[in-house]
Amino acid sequence: MFRPRLLLTGLALALGACSPQNQQAQTSAALAEQVLLPAYSRWVDADRTLATSAVAFCSGKEDLNKAREAFFNAQKAWAELQPLLIGPLAENNTAWQVQFYPDKKNLVARQVEQLLKSNPQVDKTTLDKASVVVQGLTAYEYILFDSNIELADAEQKVRYCPLLTAISEHQQELAQRILARWKETDGMLAQLSKFPNQRYADAQEAIADLLRVQVTALDSLKKKLAVPLGRQSKGIPQPYQAEAWRSESSLLSIAASLASAQTLWNGVEGKGLRALLPKEQKPLADKIDAAYGDSSKQLAELQQQPLKHWLSDEGGIAKLNAFYDSLNTVHRLHESELAKALGIQLGFNANDGD
Amino acid sequence: MSTVLSSLLHTLQRLGSWTFASGDQEPLLLSARDDVDGHHYAVGYRLNGKSVFVTQVAQRCHAIVTHPEEPFAVFVARRPGTQSYVIDLRDGKLVQTLDSPSDRHFYGHGVFHASGEWFYATENDTTDPGRGLLSAYRFNEGRLTRTHELSTHGLGPHEVAWMPDGETFVVANGGIRTEAESRVEMNLHAMEPSLVLMSRSGELLSKETLDLQMNSIRHLAIATDGTILACQQYMGAATDAAAMLGIKRPGKTFEAFPVAEPQRQAMAHYTASVAVHSELRLVALTAPRGNRFFIWDVDSGELRLDAPLPDCAGVGAVEDGFIVTSGQGRCRHYDCSNVNITMKPLELPSGLWDNHLLLH
Repeated sequence: MFRPRLLLTGLALALGACSPQNQQAQTSAALAEQVLLPAYSRWVDADRTLATSAVAFCSGKEDLNKAREAFFNAQKAWAELQPLLIGPLAENNTAWQVQFYPDKKNLVARQVEQLLKSNPQVDKTTLDKASVVVQGLTAYEYILFDSNIELADAEQKVRYCPLLTAISEHQQELAQRILARWKETDGMLAQLSKFPNQRYADAQEAIADLLRVQVTALDSLKKKLAVPLGRQSKGIPQPYQAEAWRSESSLLSIAASLASAQTLWNGVEGKGLRALLPKEQKPLADKIDAAYGDSSKQLAELQQQPLKHWLSDEGGIAKLNAFYDSLNTVHRLHESELAKALGIQLGFNANDGD
Repeated sequence: MSTVLSSLLHTLQRLGSWTFASGDQEPLLLSARDDVDGHHYAVGYRLNGKSVFVTQVAQRCHAIVTHPEEPFAVFVARRPGTQSYVIDLRDGKLVQTLDSPSDRHFYGHGVFHASGEWFYATENDTTDPGRGLLSAYRFNEGRLTRTHELSTHGLGPHEVAWMPDGETFVVANGGIRTEAESRVEMNLHAMEPSLVLMSRSGELLSKETLDLQMNSIRHLAIATDGTILACQQYMGAATDAAAMLGIKRPGKTFEAFPVAEPQRQAMAHYTASVAVHSELRLVALTAPRGNRFFIWDVDSGELRLDAPLPDCAGVGAVEDGFIVTSGQGRCRHYDCSNVNITMKPLELPSGLWDNHLLLH
């Protein structure tokens, strides 16, 4: 008499364990723990190294190449965060403090010079209250790479070092503060792991939010390529409108963001968005894998030269346009087909409200 | 109940008072909604999740206007829609389709006069794109018949609402010209947004603007004391400091509500809906591009809530706070009766809720 009932209970439990909500909760928690939190931690590490490097460079214990290396490392860590821009760093325009881009009017150069004129001995306290334009990596890059600044000249080095140090300290503190908010009780890590909470009514909402930031980042990767390519300015290339053009690290940033978006898709040990697709959606999963594969392959070739090299002739522009098309494929597959397959509606009112 | 009293009650209900639940029933949540395949619906759900009706309609709707006495509502087409739907609130039956004339289209909003005899909808004159109209429909023998038009004294009207007297219209003239069949803005550098007060006969009583000419005034909430709250969508540069929430206190000029910079910037220059709770003196605002939902104290301007809510859309007042819908996630109930506002997800279908809700 009892056996069928037990069997049914067992079956119900087994089904419950695989219910979409449950699987979404597991995926969200796994991504938070294995992908997002480590990326935010790497960002903290990179900014700590940046702060140490600024002090070492300014005291003459480290050369310019070393200082630039620390910048590239921080820039890469920030690029990796962009497809994971969810929670505290995504709110209140906090991310503007990390990087000021796009900078159509070259505000970074102007405002750095203005700040140093009015505050030759700028420190972190002054910088904390200053404009976001001078607080972040774009201003840091300006100091280390702009052709009008000659840091080998001792006088110039003395002029720029207080700001260089202040920016690195500001970045370090910002990164630590954001990471603390991830880890605090009921912080972002908890909100992506236990449902419901004050942010997410259920796990589906958390997955939708993760997909939303990923799609937004993929879209902005396209823009980062479209602007220097002149796709929005009658096809006339605009190399100085590229992200990180001074340090020629535009493609490095794009590569780091793209790889990070792919990690959200794959997850660690297969616990990514991909795992949420039912078996019958394997063709879509294969298509997305292939799209990432194609983009990465094209980008690997492009990375052998800086962006401005490719922008200088038609052959290079054709290669960049082909890469843009491949990024577009990755973006569209996530925005439409993946969203639909996961039952997620993106930007219904945001993109087409009234 | 006398007609006068019921009319007054109706006006009060639409004026930022929370909705009176009918009998023991939970309020009815009315909204336009889509399905994943892009089909459009007029829906009604009790807040406990019970579906009352889900009626497929041909064109996407925007705002909902209930009749003061009869059990029906008009689901108004959003621009440039040409059909609005009169839906029976008991079973969702389509009672009547309002087709706009060939050189007109709806703009998404309307109001019923408290007598129940007149319905007014904002419309576009496509022979003179953007010229704002309020079309008047007479309610007679169970049907609405279009009779005449009034000018809204501005371009591209969007929401229309009543002042507490129930005789004075408040019109948010968005200021944007659009042609028939199109949602493309034609005059971004010559926009003329305005907040207009006009009499029921069409006479202009006042016309006010905000600082930035590209700041489209779109949605309204009117408190029982006559305070007007208006929310905007800004069409200019991302770096401009446009006021996304405006207020016209009784007897005062229309001005920016004191929104602090972090909240203003978080809206990404786009708001969807505004609601006012006259008893709690709170104003609520949805910002679907910023994915944030906000509540402030109307009188002190104090920020009471700044919460993440992806693609938040419609908002309306209930006894203890607000109900909010979302195009992406679950609908939520915010209990504002204590100092700390708390949120509870509602057992309603998730996502694809359109721009506005009405609690009936």
